[in-house]
Amino acid sequence: MSAQPPPELTAADYPLSINRPDLLRTPSGKPITALTMDAVVSGELSATDLRITPETLQLQAQLADASGRPQLAANFRRAAEMTAIPDAEVLAMYNALRPRASTGAALEEMADRLERTYSAPVCAALVREAAEVYGRRDLLARPVADSDQ
Amino acid sequence: MTTPTTTAPERTVSLREVGPARRGTRPDEVVIALSPAFAGHFTKTIVDVPHAEVLRQLMAGIEEQGVTARLVRVLDTADLAAISHTAARLSGSGISVGVLSRGTTMIHQKDLPRLSNLELFPQSPLLDAPVFRMIGSNAAQYAKGESPQPVPTRNDQMARPRWQAKAALLHLKEFDCIEAGRGPVEVEAVFGPGTAG
Amino acid sequence: MTTTAPRPTGAAAKQSLRTELLEARPVNLDGFVEEWPEKGLVAMESEFDPAPSVRVEDGRIVELDGRSRNDFDFMDTFIANHAIDVASAEASMAIPSAQIARMLIDPGVSRGEVLAVTRGLTPAKVLDVVKLMNVVEIMQGMQKMRARRTPANQGHSTSARDNPIQVAADAAEGALRGFAELETTLGVLRYAPLVAIALQVGAQVGRGGVLTQCALEEATELELGMRGITAYAETISIYGTESVFVDGDDTPWSKSFLAAAYASRGIKMRFTSGTGSEVQMGNAEGKSMLYLEIRCILMAKGAGVQGLQNGSISCIGVPGAVPGGLRAVAAENLVASMVDLECASGNDQSFSHSAMRRTARAMPQMLPGTDFVCSGYSSVPNADNMFAGSNFDTEDFDDWNTIQRDFQVDGGLRHVREDEILAARNKAARALQAVFAHLDLPPITDDEIEAATYANSSNDYPLRDVLADLKGAQSVMDREITGLDLVKGLESAGFHDVAENLLTVLRQRVSGDLLQTSAVLTADFTPLSAINDPNDYAGPGTGYRLQGERWEQLKKLRHVTSSTNPETEVG
Repeated sequence: MSAQPPPELTAADYPLSINRPDLLRTPSGKPITALTMDAVVSGELSATDLRITPETLQLQAQLADASGRPQLAANFRRAAEMTAIPDAEVLAMYNALRPRASTGAALEEMADRLERTYSAPVCAALVREAAEVYGRRDLLARPVADSDQ
Repeated sequence: MTTPTTTAPERTVSLREVGPARRGTRPDEVVIALSPAFAGHFTKTIVDVPHAEVLRQLMAGIEEQGVTARLVRVLDTADLAAISHTAARLSGSGISVGVLSRGTTMIHQKDLPRLSNLELFPQSPLLDAPVFRMIGSNAAQYAKGESPQPVPTRNDQMARPRWQAKAALLHLKEFDCIEAGRGPVEVEAVFGPGTAG
Repeated sequence: MTTTAPRPTGAAAKQSLRTELLEARPVNLDGFVEEWPEKGLVAMESEFDPAPSVRVEDGRIVELDGRSRNDFDFMDTFIANHAIDVASAEASMAIPSAQIARMLIDPGVSRGEVLAVTRGLTPAKVLDVVKLMNVVEIMQGMQKMRARRTPANQGHSTSARDNPIQVAADAAEGALRGFAELETTLGVLRYAPLVAIALQVGAQVGRGGVLTQCALEEATELELGMRGITAYAETISIYGTESVFVDGDDTPWSKSFLAAAYASRGIKMRFTSGTGSEVQMGNAEGKSMLYLEIRCILMAKGAGVQGLQNGSISCIGVPGAVPGGLRAVAAENLVASMVDLECASGNDQSFSHSAMRRTARAMPQMLPGTDFVCSGYSSVPNADNMFAGSNFDTEDFDDWNTIQRDFQVDGGLRHVREDEILAARNKAARALQAVFAHLDLPPITDDEIEAATYANSSNDYPLRDVLADLKGAQSVMDREITGLDLVKGLESAGFHDVAENLLTVLRQRVSGDLLQTSAVLTADFTPLSAINDPNDYAGPGTGYRLQGERWEQLKKLRHVTSSTNPETEVG
């Protein structure tokens, strides 16, 4: 993996799989061109080689910004952060964001964990915003002691 | 399927309140819970099955299994799962049958989560007298601790264009009959003869 | 087909013979109701909808459509925080609605110029704009605002018996006929892994690069996607009122988190919403169906999801029953496109007993073209459609192809010769047989392959051992089978081309190219999205035109008399 700063992309670089395969790597650092049938048959590839990297999501975010889609770009930046989170925890966090599933404290803890464990400040901001709105709209779970009615 | 209204003579029913609904103690009862507008603002289901006939068949289905039917009306919600679960918790056996005015029906059990159920019959246009009788019978069998074959569910792809909007309209009207803050009440079914025309 | 009798005509007054005839027409089996605006049972013209307004203070929207921030419900909050471009909001809102409506249909105004305005509009303002437009103007707007230049179509491939061989064969035929995306779902949910595998294998036999999905509850749908057994997802439902959203056990924030989760695994995804869902669930809060749907569309925009499936979808019987309902449905598709989202535009649920009405319902999407004209044309007989039936099914293939040819319009499908179809169906069944053998799943017999080649519906196949299949399905999950295992199975059994097709689809998730707005894969595996195939419509003679090789394809029908030798047919 190179230590160079990410390139500045324009819409003309899309699709990256055709125009800029040189920029695309698998999570284990293989170039995308290494994803061949021979590699599959010889067992060199595993399922993790078919996952997207945070770097690639940042490139797609640049393309989304360059084509006037800031919300889509923001989604890709959250996604880039989320690549580090295991599948099961992603689903657990999603469930924790459902209405009345978590207390305010639990959501704050989740935001902290996103920031500290996964270096995911954009995702953490989304969770904190949810906590604020849920508090105002009565969508937080009540603390355990009060919930047994 | 034939037009359901031809399966029984026209009869009417009204529900007489006899006080707040109590938790039953008999293990051999099924509570039938009726929605706010059932046999009141409305008199028949979305496909014109008289509410009298719905009740008669449900009760007959329950009684033919040697189980007692008790009736309550839930007034503060028109949500079928909430109505049915409320009734299950009132039922001595823990088994209930909830019915909305348009005919949508559910068999519930008190230990299940509110949004779960034992059997759900979501397609109200496909529920006729024989189906209501089978639902009553199955509920009674659950009350006896048996595991009956679920009542076969029907499907009609053209129910949506024919009935979806009317179902929404009936649902809205049922909502209008909600009396917020009133607990469930025990009711007696008073059957009368059909009125002509 | 219906199980309900025509409604009784009431009193025994003598009817004319003509009335008797009209009473018997299929359209009179459809349900129609009066409006009830106070409860939201109204398509798009309601005095109870709010008036447009916006106020910005310190770079923050503090008033939205007559409500101040303190009174915002969570939809208002999410839309104000994420969907509306704060910098341009006050300027955009100051433009008269009539002028914005004119921009939408004026070929002299580019799509980009319209987007520069719509990005700053509130839900009530968007409604105010489209309320000025009649259905032809809505179609004109759609022609220009659709995100991808080239229209496409999506098919349903399901089986009433969840028979994987049927799904594979029908997916292959559907892919060959032109569907760019294929979707399945289940009767028995536990069958999902086998049916999703069958859909993927069949699709890659029919036409390499077709994208597949399996509609399930969120967790399983995401898991199949993560494993590379499916390629995209769309059954992520959102609603236009806070109360109904909460009844669905979600919020705009939980759904936004889920949107990012899909992207983080390289999986294309769109949300689903549609007019009528809120009133059907009894909580429209007195707002019109279209106003609430516009809130959904802007919520989707704010979440940063690339697209939306809308056009009433499973609630179509509700707008379909009120005055102006289909105009509202056409408008909701336009609004999704005019805020720059991919639009998979409905036409995907049984809608009417009347063939005339079914066809008319699709014209506002088919004629101007949308990203996916149907978000589920049933590429199996409707009796096998586990989405409860679509507006079109396999019996309508030739009608659809003829309408495309009549109007010189590209609805995404084409006529395919019988020998090609039989070859694809047969190969799909054999490829699935090989994959099942490779994965040690319950065997597929040669009799089943023969049946799949010539079948119409699930009734035409030998019955499977369902319990054995369900055990196999569970083992697919337990053994953590992935898309890569399917590739290996296909390759080792000599289905080299199919294996290559699937590997190329899987490789796409590493590039992320399919995450961009309106992306599909062409037959040569080029990602085609709103970035490299932007809609450049600028009036007559511009934009997507059905011509050249594609038009030659669509001129073909089952029976066309040869002009060279009128005693024969071409094709």
